[in-house]
Amino acid sequence: MLFPSAPLMIAAFIGSFVVGIPASIALKNDWKSTGLDNTTTKLLLGLMIFGCILVLLASLHIVGPKGEA
Amino acid sequence: MAVKTVGHGHDHATAHGHAHADGIKRPHIHDETIYQETRDMRLLGFVLFLLSDVVLFSAFIFAYLYLRGTVDQWPPIVDGHQLPRLDVNLAAANSIVLFGSGVTMHYALESWKHGARKQFDVWILATIVLGIAFLGGQAYEYTHAPIGWATSIFGASFFTLTGMHGFHVFAGVVFLTILFFQTKRGVYDETHYFGLTAGTLYWHFVDVIWVALFYLFYLF
Repeated sequence: MLFPSAPLMIAAFIGSFVVGIPASIALKNDWKSTGLDNTTTKLLLGLMIFGCILVLLASLHIVGPKGEA
Repeated sequence: MAVKTVGHGHDHATAHGHAHADGIKRPHIHDETIYQETRDMRLLGFVLFLLSDVVLFSAFIFAYLYLRGTVDQWPPIVDGHQLPRLDVNLAAANSIVLFGSGVTMHYALESWKHGARKQFDVWILATIVLGIAFLGGQAYEYTHAPIGWATSIFGASFFTLTGMHGFHVFAGVVFLTILFFQTKRGVYDETHYFGLTAGTLYWHFVDVIWVALFYLFYLF
């Protein structure tokens, strides 16, 4: 264990909302935009939001190694 | 051919590519249609570059998955002891730092599109700082990692893939820093900002690659 786990997991939990919600809003705002750059951006934003969900689930120990919190 | 102002405002490129009042001589743009067509080609080229990077990372990821499948237990057993798992807590917090930088970069580009230069400065500088912070977190993890480069396929795969990603992040930080100074020199305007679009796409790409690495090394 490198750092105390609790502060890091709390930071990850809060951060997943702090980052995920503005990213979702950005995706929603760009949803109807067209063109290669906008389409690529939407795809990448969506995958990044998926990453935020992964971090959220990891911070709650729903995914990842068990019993190491 | 009459001088045709491209875009609007005093600092935009002209049809004859004259030096501007700020002393910056921009590329000759003889026709807005040609500019847009070359922009589309440059954009396609950049997206293809990103796809080639996907292939590069995919090759290493599948090599890792193959090697992982060759052992009975994971993390593997070395010298009679099973290697510890990597610290998911630090990685999760560091991931949020990187994902956060993706959001700030997205809003930086949006600010630029809407002519909000000061907001753009704040967002892109925040992106650069968060990128450096992520690299700092990764450096800290490297120096405290319970596995070594040469001790197992686990360590070799981990340092190779995350190191390659870290290099991409470093290159992205340099890329964004150059873009920032280019905006200060008046290279881009509200209608011609391909470099900023490419920088944003690259940074999002780096974020998304980390999603895969975070899952593979810390959660899977």
